[in-house]
Amino acid sequence: MSIKYLALEIRRVTRSPRFLIFTVGFPVLLFLLYVGIFAKDPGTKAVLMVSMTSFGAMAAALFTGTRVALERASGWQRQLRLTPLSGPGYLTAKAATGMTLALAPAILVPLVAVLGEGVSLDASGWVRATLGVWLAAIPFALIGLLIGQIGTADSTQPITQLVMLPMALLGGIFIPVTTMPDWLLKIAHVLPSYWMGEIGRGAITAGSASLGKDVLYLGIWTVVLGFAVVRRYRKDSARV
Amino acid sequence: MNPSTPVRDAAVTAGAAVRLAALRKAYGEVRAVDGIDLTIAPGEVVALLGPNGAGKSTTVDMILGLTEPDAGDVTVFGSSPAGAVRTGSIGAMLQGGALLDDATVGEMVAMVASLHRSPMPVREALARAGIEELANRRGNKLSGGQKQRARFAVALVSDPDLLLLDEPTAAMDVGSRREFWRSMQAFTDSGRTVVFATHYLEEAEEFADRVVLMRSGRIVADGSVAQVRALAGGRTLRAVVPGATDEAIANLPCVTEFRLRGEQIAVSSSDSDKTLHALLSAYPHAHDIEITAIGLEGAFLTLTSDEEEEPSADDRREEALKSTQRTRASWASSRTEERGK
Repeated sequence: MSIKYLALEIRRVTRSPRFLIFTVGFPVLLFLLYVGIFAKDPGTKAVLMVSMTSFGAMAAALFTGTRVALERASGWQRQLRLTPLSGPGYLTAKAATGMTLALAPAILVPLVAVLGEGVSLDASGWVRATLGVWLAAIPFALIGLLIGQIGTADSTQPITQLVMLPMALLGGIFIPVTTMPDWLLKIAHVLPSYWMGEIGRGAITAGSASLGKDVLYLGIWTVVLGFAVVRRYRKDSARV
Repeated sequence: MNPSTPVRDAAVTAGAAVRLAALRKAYGEVRAVDGIDLTIAPGEVVALLGPNGAGKSTTVDMILGLTEPDAGDVTVFGSSPAGAVRTGSIGAMLQGGALLDDATVGEMVAMVASLHRSPMPVREALARAGIEELANRRGNKLSGGQKQRARFAVALVSDPDLLLLDEPTAAMDVGSRREFWRSMQAFTDSGRTVVFATHYLEEAEEFADRVVLMRSGRIVADGSVAQVRALAGGRTLRAVVPGATDEAIANLPCVTEFRLRGEQIAVSSSDSDKTLHALLSAYPHAHDIEITAIGLEGAFLTLTSDEEEEPSADDRREEALKSTQRTRASWASSRTEERGK
């Protein structure tokens, strides 16, 4: 893998109108919209900011991974297997591409929030709301890869929506966690989106929330999904 | 008789480009490749010829390491296929798609180049494939012929010593096919090894040094283009010959196979002129004489058609089958003799 290869991969994804709409357009627009409707106080604005940042980063990471299905269908993946790029190298490149693109919402939404809405956090809060939320997108890049390997070029889009919507809702990204009934909260606690949201929300209640649990849960998700992705790739390439 | 054999034998000791030994691959009940032994010397241009389902693509995939054989060995320049892929000494144009819709031709070639250790410049690969002017065109905006050339550029960019092409001209019209092979020739002229699977006989005849005919996962014929042409050059002679006997017909020169039905004879001959002269001097009253060439196409069809198939009522086909089997047997024995020397 080389920087040149990654750069070309990133350029490809940014050409897709879906990418621009979901990962850049939507999060910024929704943030401004929600702020206009609900937000009276700076606290709510900050919550909306981290929620929309999470949503954008999640979408970017997921979406990039699912594009593996296109490469599988077109036979490009087979062509790449005739290069020194290894299977894990290929998957890492795809995940890295997704994560690079997830930087866009992780930077843009907070930028709009600061410049347009005057949201302010302390230094460690900003690190959590940007870098923290961005890193929390890693499991989603892996989920995207898994969908891209299991689904076909046609089915990945609906599958992605089916995964993303409940993740976003139960993760407290579109509805506040505090309004959820107990049983729903129990489900939410299992999802990586909840912990992604926690990292962001923790940025607002500065200093008080520790990162330990968030990192632990997201770490477990990353390891488990990483294994699943590699396993699936091996199975897939043995068959083709 | 078989001029390429010494070359190939030398290649075995010097390090063959490709060596397949007792190669097998089955998909469920279907034995796609059913015991193939093949040695290809560096610099050879080999056509893998056969109908659909003959096992050509599976063989190509196993040489490339994309498919794991059930049994047998694959060696590419003395190492495993994976090793050859890592060093970039093997390049391939795969069947079907293998291009991206959302990247330009230049980007795709650059992507593959960026993954190899010592690629040729992207521009050079594009130039060799004759598509410099398509560098900025996206994959989904290419015609069938242009797509194949883009795939060719992708295969070329690692500057491989061995190039495998799976049905390279499948989607091309006659013009682009010519054009493609012209670019190909420049590549083979530089001493590179090329193996291409095709079902276009003319392509094999025109561009290959050696033709390997496959049927039902096996190699049914393997020889130089001249040999295949000789094999296919046989003719069928038909005539009404009053007073003909089995023995007399069998003793005519150059007869490989015959059938006598009443006064009607049908003879397969390796030299129909000689057979006809002898026939006419023995039977001056022979009439309704008709000579037909089996032709390359016919030879290909008979060589690659299913042997187990029940002989049909169609005389001609039955004859062709028999004569082919006989020719194949004699060819095989002449090859074994050659090997024994």
